[in-house]
Amino acid sequence: MAYACWQKQSYQFPTINGLWLAFVAFIPQLLAFYLPVTRTRIPDILASASLITSQVLLLAFAWTNHKLAGMWLLIGGLVLNLAVIVANGGFMPISPQAAEHLVPASVVQSMDVGDRFGFGKDVLLLPEDTHLVVLSDQFLLPDRFHYQAAFSLGDVFIASGIFWLLLRQGIPLRPLERLKCL
Amino acid sequence: MKTKLVSLLNQKINRQYIQLAFALLALAILVLGAGAPMEGGGIGF
Repeated sequence: MAYACWQKQSYQFPTINGLWLAFVAFIPQLLAFYLPVTRTRIPDILASASLITSQVLLLAFAWTNHKLAGMWLLIGGLVLNLAVIVANGGFMPISPQAAEHLVPASVVQSMDVGDRFGFGKDVLLLPEDTHLVVLSDQFLLPDRFHYQAAFSLGDVFIASGIFWLLLRQGIPLRPLERLKCL
Repeated sequence: MKTKLVSLLNQKINRQYIQLAFALLALAILVLGAGAPMEGGGIGF
């Protein structure tokens, strides 16, 4: 909005199609990872299936809106995350070293390699045992941040895509603007 | 009373605002579902 104001234009929120698909896609994740009542009762195998199903449906939702600015970045991020999740048995791999930044070291030491990380989307794996390790949750927020989280290259793409979508109000760059950007 | 309430709602809540709220919620869901990291990796510390 500030950017639109600076450009002396009114901010027009992008028109997003197939909103229902986003809500439907999120239901499996809501049950498997977020609602305390259900997530404790869902076995890991079903939770991983929920994650993959949900991500495929979210990919379909993103594809429905692929003409919007930033959506290709977002789709790229989704594909990267989905690839590493599928390659590692249905959860996002995280190394013990990265995990120790999120929870006390004693908690990580009490876990076995291959265990699911709490009720989250991650699984504890050694880097040498991880497929597509560069796409795993390997980046960490700076220590001075109160909110501690690990994130992947796919997450960076997704965040950049959303930022670009909102900045451009969904309007892709025209060819002339693209040339100016180069 | 009922018609009064409906007309008040029509005045106060613009259809566009509802659409905007849903679109924002869908984007938030997309980010959350696509891979937004959970605090503490979802382990709850």
